[in-house]
Amino acid sequence: MSGLRRALLLVGSPRRARSTSASLGGYLLDRLANHGVTGCAHFLEDLPPAAAYDVGAGSEPAPASNRAVPAIGPALAIGDADLLILAFPLYVDAPPAPVIRAMVAMAEARRRERATDGAPGFVAIVNCGFPEAHHADVALAISGRFAAVCRFRWLGGMAMGLGGMLGGRPLGEGDARLAHLEQGLELAAAALARDEAVPELARELLARPVVTPARFVAMGNRNWSDKAAARGLQDRLREQPYRR
Amino acid sequence: MRALLLNGAPEGESYLDSVERHLGAALAGAGWEIDRVALRQSKIADCRGCFGCWIRSPGICVIDDEAREVARLMVGADLILGLTPVVFGGYSAELKRALDRSIGNILPFFMLQAGEVLHARRYPYEWRLAAVGVQGRADEAEADLFRRLAARNARNFQCSLAGSVVLLESDPWEEAAAELTRLLVQVGVGA
Repeated sequence: MSGLRRALLLVGSPRRARSTSASLGGYLLDRLANHGVTGCAHFLEDLPPAAAYDVGAGSEPAPASNRAVPAIGPALAIGDADLLILAFPLYVDAPPAPVIRAMVAMAEARRRERATDGAPGFVAIVNCGFPEAHHADVALAISGRFAAVCRFRWLGGMAMGLGGMLGGRPLGEGDARLAHLEQGLELAAAALARDEAVPELARELLARPVVTPARFVAMGNRNWSDKAAARGLQDRLREQPYRR
Repeated sequence: MRALLLNGAPEGESYLDSVERHLGAALAGAGWEIDRVALRQSKIADCRGCFGCWIRSPGICVIDDEAREVARLMVGADLILGLTPVVFGGYSAELKRALDRSIGNILPFFMLQAGEVLHARRYPYEWRLAAVGVQGRADEAEADLFRRLAARNARNFQCSLAGSVVLLESDPWEEAAAELTRLLVQVGVGA
């Protein structure tokens, strides 16, 4: 039994359980369980402040988060966890807006607590759609700064390139093409359970490019064309609705 | 020439309003037309990550709210200026929400540029990008991160000119104004 007892996974993807972020974070939580670590998971959307506003509420007032400092919903979820795992997709080179909002809320709650003892560990997992995981370097660094501000112990970050390859499917179902992800998360879990930082090899395995950039471009473009064709939109994908 | 000022200040943050006024005056003085959006007052939902703006209604987000107008203004602008407090080295949620919802302005298709995969352009226009970050207290690590993020955005949106600056609220306004002027010159305003 390790020193680590409870882990909390926060999933910052609007695609929720169907997201690659949930797949990666969930698998890490599963592997931690093998080391005797109890885990639970939340979707950030479920922890107020959630969405900026209800999309369907056309006549509703402006989003609450536009008017005031967010409530501390995500911070309350931390509870007595001694490891926080934040998993999110890369949007425009950084964490998505709801993740930033949750980070701000957690930091504000931590500031109010002024606690210095027993700080939980913190690890970030980023799902990057590009084949080169380095697109997520800035997002991981932002996560590290967040951890520092919150006085969490930064245990490192991992970024998966080519996130579409996983596409929200669960890991651990015998797909050999995903074995490097499973191996990387296994290694990370073993280290985290010992309260150690994510090993470099684990980071490398998640970031491992499984196709060349040129091949990815060819495959990816065909994939988008096929998706459009399935909707009968293959001739419209390059439309310019806001052309000057 | 047309500039878009996206003010990502959250409620209660007034320093960026001064920055916006200064930039607006400088741009107007250089003969630019200006559009302004105070994002904290805009009704913009979070991106759903559905890619509908790429494969359901190409170029237009499937969520019908004010983000569509912001995206349209972005396409129409020669220069986009993002104003934000520096938040853990990144942007405010207010500014980020608008950016997250603007990916319909590029194509889903990929291309290689200098060996790196990027999304291809939807529009043939030359965009310029300037990011202004404000810190309440000096934090060089976060300032550096902010500049890296702005540079990544400029690369991924394939901007022809780009720059960023991080201001410290406690600095004399004259110094801040000089930094803003340098930034505008860097992105081709008044040069």
